[in-house]
Amino acid sequence: MNQKVFKLTAFLLIVCGVSALLIAYINDITIDRIAAQNAQALQEGYTEVYPEASEYSETEYTGSDAAITDVVSAKKDGQEVGVIYTVAPGGYGGAVLTLVGFDIETQKITGIKVLKQSETPGLGGNCTQPWFAARFAGKSAAQPLKAVKTETSSDQEVQAITAATITSTAVVTGINAAQADFAANYANR
Amino acid sequence: MRIGKEFTKGVIAENPLFVQVLGTCPALAVTTSVNNALGMGVAFTAVLVCSNLVISILRKAVPSDIRIPSYIVVIASFVTMIEMIMNAFSPALYSALGIFIPLIVVNCVILGRAEAFAGKNAALPSIADGLGMGLGYTLAIVAVSSIREILGAGTFLGYPILGSAYEPILIMILPAGAFITMGFLFAGMNIINRRQAAKKEVM
Amino acid sequence: MELFALIFGSIFISNIVLAQFLGICPFLGVSKDIKSAFGMGLSVMFVMILSSTICWLVYTFLLVRFDLEYLKTIAFILTIAALVQLLEMFLKKNVPALYKSMGVYLPLITTNCAILGIALLNIQENYNLIYTLANAFANSAGFTLALVLMAGIRERLDEADVPDAMKGLPIVFFVASSMGLAFVGFTGMI
Repeated sequence: MNQKVFKLTAFLLIVCGVSALLIAYINDITIDRIAAQNAQALQEGYTEVYPEASEYSETEYTGSDAAITDVVSAKKDGQEVGVIYTVAPGGYGGAVLTLVGFDIETQKITGIKVLKQSETPGLGGNCTQPWFAARFAGKSAAQPLKAVKTETSSDQEVQAITAATITSTAVVTGINAAQADFAANYANR
Repeated sequence: MRIGKEFTKGVIAENPLFVQVLGTCPALAVTTSVNNALGMGVAFTAVLVCSNLVISILRKAVPSDIRIPSYIVVIASFVTMIEMIMNAFSPALYSALGIFIPLIVVNCVILGRAEAFAGKNAALPSIADGLGMGLGYTLAIVAVSSIREILGAGTFLGYPILGSAYEPILIMILPAGAFITMGFLFAGMNIINRRQAAKKEVM
Repeated sequence: MELFALIFGSIFISNIVLAQFLGICPFLGVSKDIKSAFGMGLSVMFVMILSSTICWLVYTFLLVRFDLEYLKTIAFILTIAALVQLLEMFLKKNVPALYKSMGVYLPLITTNCAILGIALLNIQENYNLIYTLANAFANSAGFTLALVLMAGIRERLDEADVPDAMKGLPIVFFVASSMGLAFVGFTGMI
């Protein structure tokens, strides 16, 4: 009996061990590629939300808002001209990872891009579409934005995606977190 | 000859989704677009063929008391590998399928084939069986996703095919649409089965 | 407040069965009468809360510590399989009353994708232990709700005059679709 249990356990352990080794090997050969791909997606995102810069460098985020995950300063000829925030507000189906760029000189949003989301395809999933991002470009960074269901009537308002209010509000919440930090630290002096 | 038969049975006669009613979760969840369904089908087939092959090779060494846990370990390993490879080479598809890639582990079709076929047969027929079942499952979910994408978005594989005058039926993309599509497809299966049974009776 | 939103959202808005499509197999298979639906629901609740907690602990204290995060799928499924096995033996020996009502459903639970799905989602969403517990509770409660509602409808359906071709699974899918639509209505509440 005991010998049998020992044999079974040993067999299972060997199977697990071999599997773990194989997975570790595959992990080893794919991990660099995955990292490179993520870095590239991030770079492309940066260029999209703040096209004017020649260099992007990470700066330390000192605030306490949990929605902000990263802050990157966009530089042109060594001069800091813009700021890009990575925000991850909670949407309908998990975090909506969004990049938002601000221009220091004009104090306006230069662009946004949703990098990663798991919202309902066809509804909230449309937050990755360029037409939704376009609704944010050029908005003032002085005040928080507000998602509305109708046509916008002021500069502070952004039209939500039809039938996807939760997703639209999530994106706006994330952008407002970035806006608050930007207004506090990068307002025109 | 026999190998050919093992391959074809999975496509129609024993189709995993429509005849055996297994693997319904991903069939409902990832069929919002044909592209996602194709990706899921390929990942699923790859795991099924690999696990069938390894299990049929190991079938004489695995003690029968712990065969299920051993099968699960083998399947989970292949799923993890496929997950990493997809993440590395097709990140868009990887994030679209999300949680449903690791969940291939608990897809009843794969464990079912290991238990019912690969654990009892040699390597070559097991590969044929895996390929057939994988193809059958892929065709089934592509059928579901084609209906949902064409009606719900007016596109096929992302290309608009119904023209701009067509107002998409949004509900088909929503969860409720997944259930409706499956309902009609299974009703169709019912009618076919009934006709065949009636034919046999006459003969 | 945020915790409440999470629990409410998981039960009603993004219901695990009707919106996330996890655990469809038992939803179709064990919803023929209310009694067995309730038994299945309770078993899933029990196992999901236990397994989510243990998987979270395994991930946080073993896998992360040794940089083995990529082994999580395999580690979780083994944990769940072992847990269900142990639970079955424990209940059989010590709590026969409970075993009588849950026993038949336990073996089915290992391959219930809802259990593994929620364990993985807890990690993916970076939940802490309290959120993990709340999420497991809410999702399993949502599962039980959907299952029992469906069983109630199916008991009535037995008496109804369903078109021949729709008998069996097709009509269940149509009912599920109406339920899914009804649950979408809860979206307005948050």
